[in-house]
Amino acid sequence: MKAKFILTAVWWKFLLGGVLLFAQENIPPVSSTYFLKNCTLIPRPGETLKGQHILIKNGQIVDIGPGVKAPFDAQWIQADSFYVYAGFIDGYSNTGIPKQENKERPKVSTPGNPPNAVAGITPEVRASDMFSTSDKSVAEMRNAGFTLSHVVPRGLMLPGQSAVFILGDSNADKMLLQSSAAQNFQFEPQRGVFPSTIIGVMSKFRDLYRNAYQEGNQDMLFQKGTIGVERPDYSRELKSLYPITVRKQSLFVVTPQSKDIHRAMLLQNELQFQLVLAEVKQGWHYLQEIKKSKYPVFLSLDLPEEDKKDAKKEDKKELVQGLQIERDSFQIRRELAIRQYVQQAATFEKEGVEFGFSYLNTKPADIKKSIGRMVKAGLSEKAALRALTTYPAAILGVSHLAGTVEKGKLANLVVTDKPFFDEKSSIKMVFVEGKKYTPEQPSAKSEKKTEEKTGISGIWSYVLEAAGSVRKGKIYISGQDGQYKVEVSDDTQKEKKESGREVSFKDKTLKFHVITDLESAGKVDFQLQFLENKYEGTVSLSAFGSFPVKGERQSDPE
Amino acid sequence: MKSNVIYLLLFCSSMMTAQNAIIRNATVLTVTKGILPKTDILITGGKIARIGGSITPLPGYQVIDATDKYVLPGIIDAHSHIGLDVVNEATNPVTAEVNVGDALDPMDIAIYRALAGGVTVSHAMHGSANAIGGQCETIKHRYGAVNPDQLRMEGAPRTIKFALGENPIRVHGEGNKIIPNTRMGVEQVFREAFRQAQIYQKDWDDFKKGVRKKAPEYSLRMETLSDILKGNIIIHCHSYRADEILMLMRVLQDFNIKKVCFQHVNEGFKVAPELARFGATASVFADWWAYKFEVYYSTAYNAAILTRNGVTTSINSDSEELIRHLYHEAAKTQRYGDLSDEEALALITINPAKQLGIDDKVGSIEVGKDADLVIFEGHPLSVYAIPQKTIVDGVVLFDIDKDRADMRLDVQPGDKYPTFIDSGREMYDHSCMEGVSELLMEESYARYLRYKLGAGHQH
Repeated sequence: MKAKFILTAVWWKFLLGGVLLFAQENIPPVSSTYFLKNCTLIPRPGETLKGQHILIKNGQIVDIGPGVKAPFDAQWIQADSFYVYAGFIDGYSNTGIPKQENKERPKVSTPGNPPNAVAGITPEVRASDMFSTSDKSVAEMRNAGFTLSHVVPRGLMLPGQSAVFILGDSNADKMLLQSSAAQNFQFEPQRGVFPSTIIGVMSKFRDLYRNAYQEGNQDMLFQKGTIGVERPDYSRELKSLYPITVRKQSLFVVTPQSKDIHRAMLLQNELQFQLVLAEVKQGWHYLQEIKKSKYPVFLSLDLPEEDKKDAKKEDKKELVQGLQIERDSFQIRRELAIRQYVQQAATFEKEGVEFGFSYLNTKPADIKKSIGRMVKAGLSEKAALRALTTYPAAILGVSHLAGTVEKGKLANLVVTDKPFFDEKSSIKMVFVEGKKYTPEQPSAKSEKKTEEKTGISGIWSYVLEAAGSVRKGKIYISGQDGQYKVEVSDDTQKEKKESGREVSFKDKTLKFHVITDLESAGKVDFQLQFLENKYEGTVSLSAFGSFPVKGERQSDPE
Repeated sequence: MKSNVIYLLLFCSSMMTAQNAIIRNATVLTVTKGILPKTDILITGGKIARIGGSITPLPGYQVIDATDKYVLPGIIDAHSHIGLDVVNEATNPVTAEVNVGDALDPMDIAIYRALAGGVTVSHAMHGSANAIGGQCETIKHRYGAVNPDQLRMEGAPRTIKFALGENPIRVHGEGNKIIPNTRMGVEQVFREAFRQAQIYQKDWDDFKKGVRKKAPEYSLRMETLSDILKGNIIIHCHSYRADEILMLMRVLQDFNIKKVCFQHVNEGFKVAPELARFGATASVFADWWAYKFEVYYSTAYNAAILTRNGVTTSINSDSEELIRHLYHEAAKTQRYGDLSDEEALALITINPAKQLGIDDKVGSIEVGKDADLVIFEGHPLSVYAIPQKTIVDGVVLFDIDKDRADMRLDVQPGDKYPTFIDSGREMYDHSCMEGVSELLMEESYARYLRYKLGAGHQH
């Protein structure tokens, strides 16, 4: 405790200088009316209109057209070179659901008959009770152009009911659009208790489903006052599953591999629920069946990485000739497999099967790149945009509110500087229910060049986690060819810079220290490992140990 | 290298099409109708249409010359675990509701390797961790299929796995401190399960008659057990010791259940007359025992003694390695027990077909049966026998002349290892207890078991 106190005090003295200034964040915007002037509008997939003005007021699109006039209170956005799309809609993800820490495998006395919650059977759980707009995934998805998310709880076999949220930043209740969008199922057993395998999950689901139906019907009879029909045995799990058994709610099943799709269809054929296939990665084997049965589909954006070309050359010498031939032919088969995965969306389009995208295991920052790869592999931009907007809107039942840019719909817009599918385009603004967000613009390419030219010179951010608190600030580096000068400041008191001493730079590692004026702390050592436009490292205070620090390049040298 | 890939794609797509063929001039080992020298077999629509001399096929039939070669009915393995993603749901002593048919893996390379050993049908079984394990699936080795449904053998009766002795005791009694912790406990599990199923059945009958207004809770487990009581499911029971074999027959007698095949049944030779009297069948290893305590005592004469006592007997693999040379295993009964050629071959063809209830469709070369055939270079009971072509439903799915190095159907983007040698998969392990150790047991307990039992053979 004492150490922690002193440590905090040291930082206080060293970086804060004693005055804490709160960031001025929550000031309401001057006006909630925006006037986007003279943009190129893509109101729906396959349609482009030039020279359009868009008027947004109180979260709605109020007017669109070349002749629209701006009211006096509108904030003007000169959008001459901008492209405006309907805000993207995420068809299936865990956006806004905080990650749970890895729990120990539950210990139960009867592994054959565990409590439902232990077995991962929690259909009564609601995403709407768990969603948090402050979870970093919300801002990340928003920065990627998403304005609505179909959010499914994290969990196992039956993780719970999903909800549709607007990806704004007010409290979750305010952002909720649909509280019980769908029920959800995945072939994910809890290890060690029944059901612990796919076969267990399949049979347990059949049991639950039939009992949910039976109990629900019994309840209806009971409610009508049928003589001899007693009150059914209530169970929150069965009650939550009843709507899918009478087709009032659809069941999203996570089906990455072709065998998963087969299992989902097997259950659907037996039980006749409304099946939606989610997170499909290897769906081309069942295209005809999906087409025939008209199952809605969400294709995964989690694409396999391309093989690195130089991987072929790995330890070639050690292999006898026969094995080398095998390895080469394997290499071709694997490349073929990767191509099939990347081509999946194009294959679906060719076959006339519509689809949306799902994002269970996709980093928001990778979404654009993955879609780019799909487009390169033959997917039309129109179909890709449909998968980002109108298709999920239709399946989630929010077409009247979102999915296209039309008068009366939510003011959910994505504004880009080039056509979205242009590799070099970037998202300039995202409007979520009329509120403007400006994503940060990391442009990796130009920074890489900067690095070559100037090494690590420039202004870098830092985020330091020490003794339970997080400090942010900047590191100013100047000089070149390994001869650097370093200064450090804290964000809450930017003018006060401390100089780094004994600066050295070797193998992309920058070392220096600063001296605090607090005697007990003395030297503060920095050791930072740089990688392109990022770094990670440690900060050590002689008496208190080391703490992780990381940061990113903020700007080039002045 | 490109042409390699194109060839592969062509091969995969054309594989399932041809079903009309003629095998010319073969020595036909019918198993049930004697040996036919210099005989043709005409295959139409995947079925054996004619057997005889000098048959002229219609145009478009694939002609397969089998001069100086032997044709045997496709070998049938009454006990295997290939083509499955899951073998054991080892969390409860009774898991009658689970069905390995829900976890079929048509892309399992072991299917192709089994074909290379002449095996066209196998009984993909649940494991032996539970007293009453899951339902099994009789699969046809339709290599090349992607849809798991294509593996299912049409019209094959339902089967279920039971297990006696150390496995269920170890997993549940020692592992979780519940019944069964002894051999007596295993018997109790059976009796209790069937008794519950009778009550369940009565409750539903009462509900359907209107005697009872409220529907009983639906239970797929009880439904399945009821189906066993009704005689709709054949029991295949993992067993070793004679006393336990007698115990299960007594239990079944008490519940009026007739269809049972004892698997492994290493002490079957001690109770062969009793097995014959009950009408039970037996599926054994040729000469394999002493891999754990309860099976320390057996004999290579087991199959012969059972056969001579009138028990329908088969030889099985329970292994994706052994499945590749079941014909050698059958031949061992001639060294140990002097079985005739026909008797020895019946152990891997018509007898396992009877045990699976599919002997009206496969297991011998007869007109009207499925064209599941193996063409051998050398007599199949010779140590020099090598399968040349294996035919399922009239389609050649293994051809020794077209056997490339890499016959996998499903290479995934994340796959790292180009060869089987590199793959690290424990190919020669036996799979009855697959998935159990890592699933159920604490690591320390698993270590203890490995020490106690020796790694590997976990029957």
